[in-house]
Amino acid sequence: MKLNDLLKKLINKPESRQVAKKRLKFALVYDKLEVSDNMLDNLQKELLEVISRYFEIDQDSMNLDIQRSDDYSALVFNTPILSAKHCQRTSAA
Amino acid sequence: MEGKVIVMTSGKGGVGKTTVTASLGAALAQQGKRVAIVDMDIGLRNMDVVMGLENRIVFNVVDIIQGRCKLKQAAIKDRRIDNLFLIPASQSDDKDVIKPENMVWLTNKLRKEFDFTLLDCPAGIEHGFKNSIAAADEAVVICTPDVSAVRDADRVIGLLYARSISPKLVVNRIIPKMVESGDMLSHEDIIDVLSIDLVGLVEMDDQVVVSSNTGNPLVSNKESKAGMAFQRIAMRLDGHPDLPIEDPMAQKGFWKKIGKKLSRKNKDA
Repeated sequence: MKLNDLLKKLINKPESRQVAKKRLKFALVYDKLEVSDNMLDNLQKELLEVISRYFEIDQDSMNLDIQRSDDYSALVFNTPILSAKHCQRTSAA
Repeated sequence: MEGKVIVMTSGKGGVGKTTVTASLGAALAQQGKRVAIVDMDIGLRNMDVVMGLENRIVFNVVDIIQGRCKLKQAAIKDRRIDNLFLIPASQSDDKDVIKPENMVWLTNKLRKEFDFTLLDCPAGIEHGFKNSIAAADEAVVICTPDVSAVRDADRVIGLLYARSISPKLVVNRIIPKMVESGDMLSHEDIIDVLSIDLVGLVEMDDQVVVSSNTGNPLVSNKESKAGMAFQRIAMRLDGHPDLPIEDPMAQKGFWKKIGKKLSRKNKDA
C-alpha cells in the first residue's frame, strides 16, 4: 500500500469508488423517473376519476408531484377530503 | 444452421467499442468461425483502419443495400486471419440512407453466409443504433468503469430489453491498481448497478494503442492481456458460456492476499 493510500485511510476520506457508485445509483433512479408534464397531468386526471367515485374531494387544492431525496423517490398525491360518498361508507371508513 | 447476429453497443462513445468488436471478430475467426464485421457508423467509418483494411475498400454496406453490388463484392477478406471479413460503412452517404427494414434484409443474407455477424454500432441511441438493433439476435454492451459510461450503458440496456434482447456486458479498460486503492468502480459495483450478465473483463492495455497504430490484430499478440481477455470472451460467445471470467484484480503475492483478507474482515465487522 502506498503512503498516499494509507494517509487517505487514516483521514477516513470515503473512497472515490464508493462515491461514484452512490452517484451512479442515484442518477439511474433519477433518469428512470423523468416523466413528462403531460403524463403527470393524465395520471392526475385518472386518479381524480377513481377517487371521486369514493370521496368528495376539493379538486382545486389537490396536487400530484414526484419527490426525490438521496435515499428514495416518492409519488406524492395530496388532496383534502370533503366527505366520503354515502354508498361506499363502510369500505371508505 | 444459420449464424448469429450480435450488436456491439455502448451508448457512450470512446469506450473502445470498435477495438472490442474488431478483436472479438478476429478471435472468433481464429477459432475457426466464419465472421463478418459490419461497420454501422455511416458517414464516420473507422473499423477499416482499426482492422488495417482501409486501402482495400471498393464497395460498402450502403452499396449492398441499394443494390449496386453483391454482398460478396463488398465483404473485404482479412489477409492475416482466415474467415474474417469486413463490410465497411460508407463515408459519403447521409446516415439515414439505411432503414431498419434494410438491415433485416441484409442480416438475413449474412446469417446464411457467416457463423457470426458483429454489428459495430455507432455511439448514441439514434439512427445507427436503431438500425443495428432492428436486426440483431444478441447484444454485447461495452462500458468502462466510469459514471457516465455506466449510466449510458443502463439506458442502452433498457432499450435492448424493450426489444426482447438480453444483453451481456464487457467491462473495458479496468485499471486493477486503481480498483484496488478504491479509486475506480470495480466490475462488481457495475454489475450491482446494472443487474446484467457479465461476459468479460478487459484490463487497460497499452498494446491496444500499438495495435490500432499498425492495424495488426490485438488478439494475435500473446503479450497483450487485453488480447487474451478478448479471446476468452470470444470463446464464451461461441458455445462456452461457462468459461470462468478472470478477475484482473486477482492478486498474486502472498502478502497481498493476506492484506486483502484482513481488510475484508474489517469491513464486515
